[in-house]
Amino acid sequence: MTRWLRSVLVTVALVPGAWADEPAPAATADTCLVLNNRILGPRAPERLLPLLSGDPTKGFHAACAVPWNRLSPANCPLPVTDCYRGSLLQVGNDAACGRQTGPLWINSRWVITSAELQDKRAHAVICQQLETGAWAGTRDLQLDCVPAKKELSPESAPPARETSQPAVTSPRPDH
Amino acid sequence: MGGGVRPAVAGGSAARAGLLRAALQSLLLASVALFFLNFNLLGTASPSRRFSQDLVYAWFGDEAWLYPRVASAERSARPRVLVVMVDEPALALRGARWPVPVGFHAQFLAELEVLRPRAIMLDFLLIDPAPQQDVCELLTVGARLRHEGVPLYLAVTRREDLAPMDAAACRDASGALLRGTQVFTPVSVQRQADGSDFVSRRYPFEQRADAGAAPGSGLPSAAVRMYCDSEHAPAACLARLTRVAAADAGFELAWSPQGDPFNQRWSHASCIETPSPLRAILNQPALPRESPCPPVATLFAGALLSPEVDPALGAGNEALFDIADGAFVLVGGNFRGSGDLVTTPLHTLLPGVYYHAVALENLLVFDGRPKVRKEFRTPKLAFVGYDLLVLWVLAAIFLSRQRWLLRAELHRNPFELSDAARGWIAPLIARYPTPLWILATAALLLLLAAFRSLQLLAVAAAIAGLIVVELRVAPSAEIRERLRGLTMYLAALALSLAVIVLATWVGYRWLRLPPGDWLGYFSFAAFGFFVAHTAILEFGRRVEELNLARRGGGESR
Repeated sequence: MTRWLRSVLVTVALVPGAWADEPAPAATADTCLVLNNRILGPRAPERLLPLLSGDPTKGFHAACAVPWNRLSPANCPLPVTDCYRGSLLQVGNDAACGRQTGPLWINSRWVITSAELQDKRAHAVICQQLETGAWAGTRDLQLDCVPAKKELSPESAPPARETSQPAVTSPRPDH
Repeated sequence: MGGGVRPAVAGGSAARAGLLRAALQSLLLASVALFFLNFNLLGTASPSRRFSQDLVYAWFGDEAWLYPRVASAERSARPRVLVVMVDEPALALRGARWPVPVGFHAQFLAELEVLRPRAIMLDFLLIDPAPQQDVCELLTVGARLRHEGVPLYLAVTRREDLAPMDAAACRDASGALLRGTQVFTPVSVQRQADGSDFVSRRYPFEQRADAGAAPGSGLPSAAVRMYCDSEHAPAACLARLTRVAAADAGFELAWSPQGDPFNQRWSHASCIETPSPLRAILNQPALPRESPCPPVATLFAGALLSPEVDPALGAGNEALFDIADGAFVLVGGNFRGSGDLVTTPLHTLLPGVYYHAVALENLLVFDGRPKVRKEFRTPKLAFVGYDLLVLWVLAAIFLSRQRWLLRAELHRNPFELSDAARGWIAPLIARYPTPLWILATAALLLLLAAFRSLQLLAVAAAIAGLIVVELRVAPSAEIRERLRGLTMYLAALALSLAVIVLATWVGYRWLRLPPGDWLGYFSFAAFGFFVAHTAILEFGRRVEELNLARRGGGESR
């Protein structure tokens, strides 16, 4: 076997491994990475907005539920001062639930932000599954949800799953 | 004239006597059949009866006559049930982890408040010690929901489970004490499973302190309490559903093999399951395989907590509000390794919250009158008496057919081989030495026993072969006689099936008996089970002859 042929075979053998190590494309744009993000208004104006207090290190707490005009009395866009996991937005108003609550957070599910208006990509896939496997093994088993039915564009790959927690001996939650 | 009347009277009397005799004979036959229908030596009949019921739900669970689920067209009329599933990714969105902290429940209830549900049930046992601040937050959010008219239900193992919440001494904004019992209605989440196969087909009405406790004294099960609270007279509804004497009484859950169409948005498997009876005939698995698409609309908590998880719920959350507004929301957990799973007739494993969700759907679609087995009904004799009545009619049809065959001098069983066919087949086999054909037959049957796929083919080939032989060798007069007998058999079968359909309709619709309690009728019509029990009639005739002889002897003395 010539040296040339050997090097070609080695290259061909290594290529799939190199592909496997490539990072997966991000599922969607992370709201937390958008600069100058602002809360423009509620998605459903007639419904109350649940607010949280606290912070990521000490934990979040249910604070109160208020209408939009309490959060933004002048009906102006509110600056997002901090962000957590792409969905909790810290609002530039820490008095909506009264004094001494500290910074307030809101789920981006209930408000329209300037970030999402900038994100024009189509979100085609929602990928979830129930954990119903009867496995005789540890709970560290990874079962990735692969969307089989819906078209998946390269920009909207399924979100990466959280790293599973180590096995615990907590009591069952129910029954 | 009087002489003319007398024979008519005598004839009428004879006819009446004949009718009475026929009625008594069919009653005797029906009674024997009833005994064998309910004969359950060592409990071996129970699994087959339950499996038959599972097959009925697998094949017809989507038919409105069997299980009128909350279809899309009826959504406006009936409130729907929505399962909200909390899992590890959802907890991570709030920086929490398993076991679910009480503070997370408080936050999550506040998020659910936006959806304006009809009622919320937390299928979590909050029995672990929790910080006072978290408990007070939970009670504050809960009190707010209560104030808005949204009842809250909390899973407990006993009423005292709410005591730690009271011990937290939480106060609302006005300084009033907030108690767990004021905010949450405790509900039982105890699960029942059939002892024969551990499948959860039955849903308990209530959880009593012990077997001797009075009906209605226990803790109502989640679905029962939620349903009754939505009725105009909750107390009367609860009393009606929990009045069953047996402590382990419950109602039978109807299931559908189809997943809820809403779940197709997240399920990577199809929500449309179409198991067919043909699969069972072809020796393929009759029940649907484990379906990852559950039968109740399911919203993952992550989708509620982050639009990134499910951006397709609408720019204004239209799809979210459409599914949850006015719905019964049951919040459950789905954590790997938590073990909160339930085996249903149509699902190998499902998160436990679906047990309560399907029970609530059953109560809704059957208007609070779910299907309950005979063993939990009172008076029990009346329900078994209904079986006897149905079998009596079927036995009468069977005996009428037998009598008609005798009158028509059709002595042959239409399914029996004719003498001519026997005479043709026997010499054919007799060409071979006895050990050879016996061994060949044994080998053939061994193959059929080992390979199930060959069984249907062999039976079909044998029937086709015998029909061809009969048509070739049997005299045409005998074939005509056989066809008449066959026509009579089919007519009687059709009449029996009509009676069974009527009995089933009355039993299922009005007497609320689950399929397992009326499927047995079909075996008598379809498989001619009465044939196996006609020996009792011969015995009856013999006893009657002896009785008549005894009375005759007594009169002559």
